[in-house]
Amino acid sequence: MSYFGLFPLFVFLPLVIIIYNILPKKVRPIVLLIASYIFFYIISNKLIVFVILSSLSIYIAGLIMKEIDKDRDKLLEKVQEKEEKKLIKSKYKKRKKVILILTILFNVSFLFFFKNLNFFTLTFNDILKFLNIDYSFKIIKHLAPIGISFYTLEAISYLVDSYNEKIVPSNNIIKVLLYLSFFPTIMEGPITRFNEIDSSICSGEKVTYHNLCFGYQRIFYGLFKKYVIADRLNIFVKLIFSSYLNYSGVTVLFGAIFYTILLYMEFSGTMDVVIGASEIFNVKLPENFKAPFFSKNISEFWSRWHITLGTWLKDYIFYPVSLSKCVKKVAGLFKKLFNSHISSLVMGFVALFAVWSLNGLWHGAGWTFILFGYYHFILIFLGNIFEPFISKICLKLKINRNNRIYKSLRIIKTTFLIFIGELIFRAPTVNVATGMIKRIFTNFTFNNFGSEMLSLKLDIKDYAIVIISLIVVFVISVLKEKGKNVRESISKKNIVIRWSLYYLLILSIIVFGAYGVGYQPVEPIYADF
Amino acid sequence: MKNVLKSFVFLLILFILVELISYALVPYHNLKYSLYEISKYEILTEEKDTVDSIFVGDSLIYSAFSPMEVWNNYGFTTFACANSAQLLEDAYNYLEIANDTQHPKVMFLETNVIFRNPKNKVWYYDYKNIMSSLYIINYHNNWKKFMFNFLNNDTKFSKVNVYKGFKYINKTQSAKYRDYMKYSEKVTEIPKSNLDMFDKIVKYCNQNNIKLVLVSTPNMKAWSYSKHARILNLKDEYGLDFIDLNIDNPLGIDWKTETRDKGNHLNYYGAVKVSNFIGEYLKTNNLVKDHRNDKKYESWNESYEIYSKSVIK
Repeated sequence: MSYFGLFPLFVFLPLVIIIYNILPKKVRPIVLLIASYIFFYIISNKLIVFVILSSLSIYIAGLIMKEIDKDRDKLLEKVQEKEEKKLIKSKYKKRKKVILILTILFNVSFLFFFKNLNFFTLTFNDILKFLNIDYSFKIIKHLAPIGISFYTLEAISYLVDSYNEKIVPSNNIIKVLLYLSFFPTIMEGPITRFNEIDSSICSGEKVTYHNLCFGYQRIFYGLFKKYVIADRLNIFVKLIFSSYLNYSGVTVLFGAIFYTILLYMEFSGTMDVVIGASEIFNVKLPENFKAPFFSKNISEFWSRWHITLGTWLKDYIFYPVSLSKCVKKVAGLFKKLFNSHISSLVMGFVALFAVWSLNGLWHGAGWTFILFGYYHFILIFLGNIFEPFISKICLKLKINRNNRIYKSLRIIKTTFLIFIGELIFRAPTVNVATGMIKRIFTNFTFNNFGSEMLSLKLDIKDYAIVIISLIVVFVISVLKEKGKNVRESISKKNIVIRWSLYYLLILSIIVFGAYGVGYQPVEPIYADF
Repeated sequence: MKNVLKSFVFLLILFILVELISYALVPYHNLKYSLYEISKYEILTEEKDTVDSIFVGDSLIYSAFSPMEVWNNYGFTTFACANSAQLLEDAYNYLEIANDTQHPKVMFLETNVIFRNPKNKVWYYDYKNIMSSLYIINYHNNWKKFMFNFLNNDTKFSKVNVYKGFKYINKTQSAKYRDYMKYSEKVTEIPKSNLDMFDKIVKYCNQNNIKLVLVSTPNMKAWSYSKHARILNLKDEYGLDFIDLNIDNPLGIDWKTETRDKGNHLNYYGAVKVSNFIGEYLKTNNLVKDHRNDKKYESWNESYEIYSKSVIK
């Protein structure tokens, strides 16, 4: 099941809204929790037990850490000396650390078992085979609980933030259970922090007419992206990635371009649905996309694409690694031997390597995902190395780096690199990925371009719809980039214009949606991660 | 209250717009029927007197019989007149509707329907049938027939029903081997009301010069030797043709790869075999004409073009 079906959006969600609104304020959070568990159960059946276990583990760990903090504070009140205070703090911190590590291990072990174990077993078996050892470990076939990669990261952030006293662990069990399992976010995020939704998720505020309208408007915009654009391009992408040798380099490049567009439309469309559905219940979720194709370099791209994953990795991997004692020591050594630029590069190298290894693994246990991670690691790291030189060259050549043409060229360069990255991400194997990239560069001919593009199950009218729809999404992105709230602006127009736009959006999805004869819908891509 | 009224008006206008667009998108040849009826009886989307043969039945038919395969290989115009959990009474109604606009020469009747007790009718199927055949959902792709025509000089304006009642499903769920069609002395009873209805169907076909052929499509779960035996009696009683595609597996159905739900329904690959069998039957018995080169049937070629791109062979 995906969020885009008729059942979740037009049967399940309205039913939850009605029950939620009928019942008293106090009971409403429980309604959301029950609805979330029903939703989870429909998709993952008995595996629901794992999300409950994770939730209970962080709830209990949070309370224990809170108690430790209380005891520490009581003791600190009685002590005057700085040294003694320091000792007490360190002693209690150690206690908390034990709780933190044990609970993180408990949660990560599920993630590892469901997502990575088979990959590592397969790799290990390959090594044994390579060494001519006649033994192989058994591969266990199993299904993973839906959204485990998302809620585990949320669980870790809750624990680490509790440990660092950035948040006060909640006594309200409903709140913590709901934080990990809130049904709009359970499948594909965004990866929220407890303090971002803490106050709203259990507020029990009534669903207002305004929220209902705004929420469904955003949901329909998400449906438009998914049904009209992503699903339309899916069949083309499937064919290219399964038989790229039949096509010229330029068509293969279009395969990569279309896949990137498809991925963006599917994932950001899902986010529109998720954020819209949450908005109905007054829960404001963080945005996961911010016009990523306006990025001027890869680092910027990752601050605009899957933002909540990027910030999670930054806060819980990049900073802890780069500020760790060991890395600091090594960086200090390099500073002595060379200069501060080299030292910061070394520090960045270690932290970025950790971030991108985990980023690749998080997306999936497969070599293409690992390669995808390191591809971005190399690009970002090279960017960091060359930045001072490029800056100097531009200064010498008197090139204004804020110049529009220069900016546009950087955007084009970055976008091309993104296409190649997403090609690696989508390819079934590393061999296919490298084969496709090779084909782009060695077989770049427009000789059969037209006939090839029309042989991939899309006709010229499909392309026309894709182009028009992309223009619509582009215009909305530009307006958002300029800080305009499109929905607010539309809501201020007179009723004829406003309703006409709504009807246009809904009817476009129904009429121009790529469903039924000749199309294959995209499976929820990020729900698999 | 104001907001409730506003929402109601919004939805009402949306409904009207959907209806208007539906009239533009659904192939509409019979103005005396409503859009709802067109959604229920898909054959109403076909131009008058263009379908020569119909296959009436339940989900077994829309899973096992693809008229486009028959068209491509034999040039015969056929239609799958099927609904989920169809009752014999529903089959009769469909026959009447089909005959009103098409005057088919041959009607194949799936025999599973004859055993379905009308007392066990499940409300859910009516809902399912309506939902699965919502007109605008089914025919929305007809926008291509009249938009952006300047892009490829396409001035044709014939909206098409691509699948002609068939539901394309190519997923596979293998069936486990069972004692399927094991010989038995038993004979399954047919409900009394169904016997009366069957009599009505036979008479209707005779009066309208429609050749009635009873067919049991391959089905591992619902079909049995005892049902086969009962239909044999019925066939003798009325002097009809009866083809049982379950006895000795004459089509060589591979139950590992050609069923979508463990032997209950065939998938696309199984449907190709059944459809070709029906085409061959019509050809051998010289029952209908090949229309492939007839300009009146140009839309069938168009449908096939779209169909062939959408199915995975």
